Amino acid sequence: MTRRDGPVRRALRMAAMGAGVTGSYLGYMAQSAFLSGDQRAVRLKRAHTRAARRMSDELQALRGPAMKLGQALSLQHGVLPDEMLAELATLQMRAPGMHPALVRAQFTGSMGREPEQVFRSFETTPFAAASLGQVHRATLKNGEPAAVKIQYPGIRDAIKNDFTWFRAISKPAQLSRHLPPDVMDELEAQILAECDYEREAKNIAFFRKGLAPLPFVELPVAHRAYSTDRVLTMSMVRGAHLDDFLARRPSQALRDRVGERLFELFYFQILELHALHADPHWGNYLFGSDGTIGLVDFGCVKYFQAPFVANMRKVFLYAGSRESAHFRQILEERYATSGTRLSRAAVRALARISVEFYGRVYPADPATDGIPFDFADDAVIRDYLRESTRVGRARATLPEYVFLGRAESGLYQTLHRLRARVHTSAIVRKYLR
Amino acid sequence: MAARTPSVTRRARRPARPRGRRAAAKAATRERITAAALHLFASKGFDATTTRAIAVRARVAEGTVFNYFATKEDIALHFFEQEVDSAIAAVRRNARLRKAPLEEKLFALIQSQIEYLTPYENFIGAAFVQALRPSSTLAFSLRAFALRARYLAFVQELIQESLPRHGANAMAWAAPQAFWIYYLGMLLYWLHDQSPGKQNTLAFLDRSLALGVRMLRKGTLG
Ligand SMILES: Nc1ncnc2c1ncn2[C@@H]1O[C@H](COP(=O)(O)OP(=O)(O)O)[C@@H](O)[C@H]1O
Repeated sequence: MTRRDGPVRRALRMAAMGAGVTGSYLGYMAQSAFLSGDQRAVRLKRAHTRAARRMSDELQALRGPAMKLGQALSLQHGVLPDEMLAELATLQMRAPGMHPALVRAQFTGSMGREPEQVFRSFETTPFAAASLGQVHRATLKNGEPAAVKIQYPGIRDAIKNDFTWFRAISKPAQLSRHLPPDVMDELEAQILAECDYEREAKNIAFFRKGLAPLPFVELPVAHRAYSTDRVLTMSMVRGAHLDDFLARRPSQALRDRVGERLFELFYFQILELHALHADPHWGNYLFGSDGTIGLVDFGCVKYFQAPFVANMRKVFLYAGSRESAHFRQILEERYATSGTRLSRAAVRALARISVEFYGRVYPADPATDGIPFDFADDAVIRDYLRESTRVGRARATLPEYVFLGRAESGLYQTLHRLRARVHTSAIVRKYLR
Repeated sequence: MAARTPSVTRRARRPARPRGRRAAAKAATRERITAAALHLFASKGFDATTTRAIAVRARVAEGTVFNYFATKEDIALHFFEQEVDSAIAAVRRNARLRKAPLEEKLFALIQSQIEYLTPYENFIGAAFVQALRPSSTLAFSLRAFALRARYLAFVQELIQESLPRHGANAMAWAAPQAFWIYYLGMLLYWLHDQSPGKQNTLAFLDRSLALGVRMLRKGTLG
């Protein structure tokens, strides 16, 4: 047995023994990172209707971490056609469901007390599925309603095993060429960070404070006293998921208002907070009938370095030619901060997305700021996906992009479904000042 | 009327549930000896623990220990009997579990056993080694067989009440024996589980029970 075989065999053996019983989350998470909100929504809907068969689905899912990683890679580089991606997406996994006895054991093992001792009441059946566990309704001792997110046990170790395994097999193969090691590291760090609910509670506190200037956004309060790394107790955020919100046929004015707010929320986060709620999954937005936006799930949060944001400021609404030497210099500057040299193909792809997509959706001329951009246009999403896929293929992927891109495509998908008209450049310009 | 019934007539072969102050005192002494022994088994090891040391720690005369238990193994067996009884009672007490799927019932059973064993983790490891000896009364005495049979009968009962029509297939017939081996394997896994809150054991239990019950339903290993 060569040294290189070691971790692979070990991983396989462990999977066979059941140590990897929780299966591969990596595939799920990695794919989610590159999936658009709609694709995820479709997948999730299917997952929900198949709830009864979930257990057997999960067991099947244990078989193919290799297949899942293969999917993740092909997804990133747009090698496969969209329909096929949608199909593959349904193969992704979520954490297995937990029966009440397991919920109790995991809660008590982590908190040191039974749910009934901690809360006035606790519902043993979950009201929502989470990627790493499930969410339960509870009432605090003081009578306030709460959402308690409980993680499926052993997730961390399962993910670490997956990565050990993946690094081992990707070394000899050409896979690592497609998924650069630093992107890989970023993925692992982010995915592992998502497992730590204490960190998520800190993120919630950070965003609650940071987003306070936007009065239309509602965030949960994390109840740290009833939370651990595996259990997160939050206040219950009200509002309807996008599907339900749309089913009530909101007026164009309301959809525009919500669209503008979602858009402002996105740019406020990047330019003012230097941090981004980077999981655009449809379940994470709760829309109020008065246009308020509830935001949950702060597991996947990206904090940006100041130089990266400074560079973004130069690129956003760039007034000159995007094929100029000056624009190219700005791009090179950005990549230099992470030690990446830009290839000719990468520069071309970046200039192209700038012209073909950003130039159109975000006109630089302030004279046009009064005209909203209509996201009902089907071409928006198509153009965005086509051009960002090109950027990926040109291997111009920065670690920051993985999550920025995920959030950005989620934003456009939501705006498209809202058929919202948004004063894109005016909003961005407000925060560039 | 019940109160006037002399406790003597209630005596079965095995000591019945203690009645009266004298019996309560006896039970308390028995538990004190058991607790002292378990503490020493865990800290000093099973072999190195003498009856004398147990007596000293339990604050009784050495002879008193022998009044209750003939051997150290008997003390350990007494502990395991209590562990099994309390786990069975916990499953039976839980009304919600009655309608739960088989995998959840079995999970609850093993989980409450683990909870019982947790304070004595060191000793369980030692008991494993001890039980492997051919001469071990911990594993091979009549009393040990009786305990295992009682435990597995309960497992069989749970299987039967969940899968009544599967009684005839070969898997169901062999299931309790397989379950015993599985249970021992699970204990080993638990002993070596370094994850916080031993959550890997929970995951292992959950996934493997789901798989096992599925196989049992289908009646094959496939
Ligand atoms: N505080 C909350 N209030 C209301 N609903 C919530 C709350 N937290 C989570 N949810 C619901 O539970 C779902 C899953 O929770 P989430 O935090 O997104 O888990 P994960 O990040 O693991 O997928 C969310 O999409 C949302 O619908």
